[in-house]
Amino acid sequence: MSGLIHWAEDVDEDWPSVLAELTRAFEAARSVAQGEESIVYVVRQDDLLGRRGAGNAIVACGLLSAARTAALEGARKGWTANVVAFDEADRSVVELWADRLLDDGSVNGELIRVGSGHIGKTLA
Amino acid sequence: MNGTIVVTGAARGIGRAIAEKMASTDPLTVIGVDIAPELALSESIIPVQVDLTTSEGPGLIRKAVEASGSPLLGLVNNAGITRDARLVNLTDDDFAAVLEINLGAAYRLTTELAPLMSEGGSIVNIASRAYLGNFGQFNYSMSKGGVVGMTRAMALSLAPHVRVNAVAPGLISSEMSMAIPEDIREKMVDSIPLDRMGTPNEIANTVWWLLTPLSSYITGEVVVVGGGRSLS
Repeated sequence: MSGLIHWAEDVDEDWPSVLAELTRAFEAARSVAQGEESIVYVVRQDDLLGRRGAGNAIVACGLLSAARTAALEGARKGWTANVVAFDEADRSVVELWADRLLDDGSVNGELIRVGSGHIGKTLA
Repeated sequence: MNGTIVVTGAARGIGRAIAEKMASTDPLTVIGVDIAPELALSESIIPVQVDLTTSEGPGLIRKAVEASGSPLLGLVNNAGITRDARLVNLTDDDFAAVLEINLGAAYRLTTELAPLMSEGGSIVNIASRAYLGNFGQFNYSMSKGGVVGMTRAMALSLAPHVRVNAVAPGLISSEMSMAIPEDIREKMVDSIPLDRMGTPNEIANTVWWLLTPLSSYITGEVVVVGGGRSLS
């Protein structure tokens, strides 16, 4: 397998902290895209719903949207971009899904949600 | 409604349509951010020119609200730019510029003004259908996805007194869309079930609805106004 598995880090509520995390994700994605390798962003399900503050929500939802755009661009070159969202899952389970997404180029632009916390909530 | 509404990016396009709609339909004072004084068409629109990417910018808007003498009822975060490029070619400067204006300015201004809505209020963030992904717009998509995340988090933190929603326009007839090469724009229109671009007034109507009590049980939602493009 090759590519990027980028775990979103918790941020403070101030804008510089948020921008720094988004910039880190951008720079990492650009680097692997230039090498035509795939991208997986890992975020918390709670953050997609805004449950842990605005800063973390901005990062999680921003990464999801960015991955969808990257997926469109990668589709023409043979690489993919996806997002894994988790709630109470073990890190090893999340890594398993992330690795699978890097290995299997047939899934692109998707949000894979590990766990059950998203059921009954808004679509991301 | 009787109070003050702040609209950013109000000099043209969607922002201007929103400001004019709000100024014409209710006894409101509208603070139009980015409007040069000579371009203010209505006496109900107070023009303010502020750089919202500076640390001083949001505070200057707050002072304008306080000077208006009426309670702040609404905020529309509309200001936005594009700097398009494929991810592999996207420069640091173009990434940062889009994030700062489309997202950072909205975040800082909302944080500054939300405490003024002590009597209740409604915040509408202008996202974009590009939050679902759009070729060549990694920075813009990320910024608008961030706006969606901000909307959801603030809908939770500011409830029950303040509602927070987002509107995600599709292809709208504006300076921004007119910058798209004509052949590409025509292909985009061909993919819209309603077979045309939207108008700034159609976005303004949706924003107006979200600002008024007509939508009083709606918060944390994203309303896509895109002619059905998300299905085709």
